[in-house]
Amino acid sequence: MRRFLIAALLWVPLVCFASSASADTFTCLACHSAMKGKIRTEKDVIVDVHVDSERYAGSVHGGFDCITCHKQFHSNPHQAVKVGSVPPAIAALASRISQKAKVDPVALAACSECHGDVYKAWEDSVHGKNIIAKKQTDGAACLDCHGSPHYITPKNTKTSLVNRNHIVETCGECHNKEEIAKKYNLGTHIVERYEESFHGKKYVIGHQNAPTCVSCHGAHDVRKWDDPKSPVAWDNRQETCGKCHKGATKKFVAAITHKPYGKGNPVPYYFEKGLIVLLLGVFAFITGHVILEAIAEIRDKVLRKGKEGHHE
Amino acid sequence: MNNKEIPGEYLRFNVTERIQHVIMFVTFLLLSFTGWALKYPEQTVEHSSWLVQIWGGAKNAGIVHRIAGITMLLDFVWHVIYLAYSLGTGKMKLRWNTTIIPTPKDVTDAIQNILYFLGLSKTKPKFGRFSYIHKFDYWAVFWGMGIIGLSGLFLAFPVWASNFFPSWSVNWIWEVLFIMHSDEALLAIVFILFWHFYNEHLRYNKFPMSTTWITGKISIEDMKHEHPLEYELEFGDKRGQ
Repeated sequence: MRRFLIAALLWVPLVCFASSASADTFTCLACHSAMKGKIRTEKDVIVDVHVDSERYAGSVHGGFDCITCHKQFHSNPHQAVKVGSVPPAIAALASRISQKAKVDPVALAACSECHGDVYKAWEDSVHGKNIIAKKQTDGAACLDCHGSPHYITPKNTKTSLVNRNHIVETCGECHNKEEIAKKYNLGTHIVERYEESFHGKKYVIGHQNAPTCVSCHGAHDVRKWDDPKSPVAWDNRQETCGKCHKGATKKFVAAITHKPYGKGNPVPYYFEKGLIVLLLGVFAFITGHVILEAIAEIRDKVLRKGKEGHHE
Repeated sequence: MNNKEIPGEYLRFNVTERIQHVIMFVTFLLLSFTGWALKYPEQTVEHSSWLVQIWGGAKNAGIVHRIAGITMLLDFVWHVIYLAYSLGTGKMKLRWNTTIIPTPKDVTDAIQNILYFLGLSKTKPKFGRFSYIHKFDYWAVFWGMGIIGLSGLFLAFPVWASNFFPSWSVNWIWEVLFIMHSDEALLAIVFILFWHFYNEHLRYNKFPMSTTWITGKISIEDMKHEHPLEYELEFGDKRGQ
């Protein structure tokens, strides 16, 4: 216990310099920045108790008090701590998303205090509805895409999980999973298919205009394609594709499907097989011909001393 | 003019044909290098490969690829018009021993040549102005223009191209165009690396390369040796004099 206390105290000056938050925050971080590992709460939820105070201080929320979001604590060790008051709206929202945010639903609901518009858009999205209306635990809430609020950095920084370079990987966290695809009747290998497409290939080699998932599907207000409000719904596609492809027609916007290759789409599948046969055939002929000719020329030079079996 | 000496060199390609060839191979190299970067990215989103970096990024590489592609197509169109014009005005004549058009003799030549390589034939076939090897090289470009050039044009201007495809094809036509462009480009690169490079660069008497593409000329000795039928056609009657 004593060793733990000393270790915790060692962190105090560092935290003081790094953060501009109030004394309460230092009190929390004094322990939580030194604590390593995870604990199991009485509700049988595994919680990572560590908060990296340096990264926290450098994040967009670094100046906040812990209790700005963690408005209440429900575990015994913290009952003595001064507890912030929970506004009724936040408490109501917290109860609606509690099955998703097992650790601290109030803190997750607290995002809406500042990010109200975004929260509203999300509530109406396929992700939000899945959590709030269908009471599911999968479906992305704020933290699933943005990462821990302790470490969120602006969208244009390298460490942001939702910046251009990371967003496809971030979406893929769930959308690469077979079980998610099956459960919600989504296409499989979506990220793989995207990366095989021209859009994805350009994205991978660093083309700054190449569209990522969110360019077409939207972000906080993402909807299923058959939702008429979705940007990739049939009636909205011309506008969505038209952002880059001016004058996009009905016929043109049908091009993108993220459908997997294979026998399900037989024309390209067998077409490619045919071309591979052609490629290998030509390749075999030309390499064979070149090798035979080279050997024959060496033979003529060395063994026949330049005398070719010629017309002379 | 029967007393005219046989010259030391023979003009094989005129300046127009040489320029067409230079445009063709310069655009081919540009297209190969920029296209390869897209076909085989071998990199992560955060770190571009050198193949992308040398063009100053993916966007520039794409612009280079499109400009080179259109230039190549125009070069091809120019060549076809030039051929039609030359044939129409009689500057170029269709003759069995000088034509680039494949003939039945090319098939027997190829068989005889391969038999010769294997030691099963004592004599090499006699070639005209263009052997079956040259003809294969030449017509491969036509194949490439049709398959890679057309699909490339459609892929570069997809909104425009979508007008041409019937609605029942939208589910697969773009995949097909992409496969056409990508797989056939690989075939073209492999073809050039093996066929063209061996025949025009690596051959013992041509290494590091034949200078015909610059001067347009071939030495009479090489002509006698490599294009005996054309030699006979041009200088055959002067042999005994």
